[in-house]
Amino acid sequence: MRKVGSILLLLGLESVGFAVFVAFMVAEGLGAIMAVLFGVLIASLALGRTKRLSEALRNLFEEHRKLAIAWGGLFVLALPFILHDNPYAVHMLFLAGLFVALAIGLDFQVGSTNLVNFATASTYGIGAYTAALLSVSFGWSFWIVLPLSGLAGMLFGFVLGLPTMKTKTYYLSLVTMAVGLIIYLLLNNLSWTGGPNGIAGIPTPTIGGSDFADGLTVFGIELPFQANFYYLILAVVLVEYIVARRLHMSKVGLAWNAIRDDEIAASCQGIDVTGYKIMAFYTNAFFDGLVGAIYAFSVGFISPENFAFMLSVIVIAMVLVGGMGNTAGVVVGAVLLTLIPEKLQVVEAYRLWLFAIIMLVMLLARPRGLFPQLVRQYR
Amino acid sequence: MSFGGLTALDQVDLRVHAGETVGLIGPNGAGKSTFFNVVTGIYAPSGGQVLFRGDDLGRLKSHQVVRRGIARTFQNNRLFWQLSILDNVLIGMHLRQKATLADVIVRYGRTRRELNACAREAIEILNHFSPDLAAQHSRSVLDLPQGDRRRVEICRALASRPTLLLLDEPSAGMSPDETDKLMEDIAIVRRKFSGITIVVIEHDMGVIDKIADRVVVFNFGRKLTEGTFAEIARDPAVVEAYLGEDDGA
Repeated sequence: MRKVGSILLLLGLESVGFAVFVAFMVAEGLGAIMAVLFGVLIASLALGRTKRLSEALRNLFEEHRKLAIAWGGLFVLALPFILHDNPYAVHMLFLAGLFVALAIGLDFQVGSTNLVNFATASTYGIGAYTAALLSVSFGWSFWIVLPLSGLAGMLFGFVLGLPTMKTKTYYLSLVTMAVGLIIYLLLNNLSWTGGPNGIAGIPTPTIGGSDFADGLTVFGIELPFQANFYYLILAVVLVEYIVARRLHMSKVGLAWNAIRDDEIAASCQGIDVTGYKIMAFYTNAFFDGLVGAIYAFSVGFISPENFAFMLSVIVIAMVLVGGMGNTAGVVVGAVLLTLIPEKLQVVEAYRLWLFAIIMLVMLLARPRGLFPQLVRQYR
Repeated sequence: MSFGGLTALDQVDLRVHAGETVGLIGPNGAGKSTFFNVVTGIYAPSGGQVLFRGDDLGRLKSHQVVRRGIARTFQNNRLFWQLSILDNVLIGMHLRQKATLADVIVRYGRTRRELNACAREAIEILNHFSPDLAAQHSRSVLDLPQGDRRRVEICRALASRPTLLLLDEPSAGMSPDETDKLMEDIAIVRRKFSGITIVVIEHDMGVIDKIADRVVVFNFGRKLTEGTFAEIARDPAVVEAYLGEDDGA
């Protein structure tokens, strides 16, 4: 009897959460948007303040882990169906997925290892340009170009990591900023990257003869074509999430955390500090490259403006707001910080002003992020 | 070993035999901690050799020195402050886990079993010293009093299964009660990890008297003398090093 009760409670909680999310996605008025936001903030505060509540919830999810994941996964898969007559909302979900993928990767560096890398836009851009050049110039298929873009990003991450190792903290951030700027200027000035005009005419991917530009009809529901890209990025996010969790619960995640807390003590435990820092760079950069390729293929046109400094700052903010070192928290941070500015379009002129206030309130209320890193549990 | 114009360690000739516990004493600035930092690869020596079981450690980096079987603690505990007690000890087993990056991503089941086995062993190590610490292994190390922090640091050093353990002033900042427990802890180390060699820097002569088989005295970056505690305590040169020039009073 107790077990049935706890299962119903779990399913009910998840359902309420998703109902709120869908309400937020379709909300038009400012009042509704703000109500949802403050609801999330208050929930996070309540979890942070009352240990018993957060522990009870954690136990509830741990007890029925598979069910919780299945029910939640069903909702995530169903979102394009629920929002099928709102292509813009589905596109927003795709963008949110894109930023989730960037933020989870950046957390390897910023959250786990305390390497505040400001060159996310560059690695992401390298992936996008690799994809665009290979598909436009050579006509290679998306499915070959995708992993190559990941590898190109990874190679760049490795090359970026090497000289950066000579520096620490603020100086490291400065080096990454400089590299980001160099890449941005190169993209703008090289002739083979199209200069400021970028690269146009990137073909949409195809799978088994059907084009990603055509919407699918499933169970009699006509999905907008944006749903195709949503499911694509969802698959990448899923793989990346699993990789992130595995890294976190392994000697790699422990070594990264050790380096974050005390480099000298870490090296005296046998951790190759330089090697593990570079590993944080290239594992992150691999996913940035993949995501860049997906972005290029989804919009069909890229230019240097898509890979400017501001993008790197936004992804760092997503990690900070979500909670450094907590992959699930980073997902929440990335989704919120993608959707909030878009939803705030209703207030037009005050949009950025309001966005800044929301960020400030969140960080003042939860200085370590909405969901900080949890204590590792072993069995 | 020198820093700019300052020679911090000069012609130190020191031998440590397997299985013994050596006390390293000397006034502040005598070069004791510098000596540890040279041995563990934090500083590269400007001359001379550090031989460990016949290998020269001089050119090795810190993480390579650990691989040879040398572990240490620090004067002001350097724990991983944002992590739990268990994670701190588990990080000491970094080199003992064979998993590579590919194993972590692709063969996670095996990696996880290895990690869990290490976690159980880490709890066992904690249990040697304090069943309380072992039971509360998920607590943050920040919540612990000084004595327990030092204990976790010793457990972390032991986790790598070292043959040589370097303790840098383990009683620093401890109350007399905590210092008594520390001496018991070191006795436990020698009992449970038999054959381990220990070099301990200490200012508390009570601790040195009780645990050291042999005492080495440093002064101004040089080895002043060595011997048993009783011999050292009688040596006028040692007394002078600690109390300063005798004016014939």
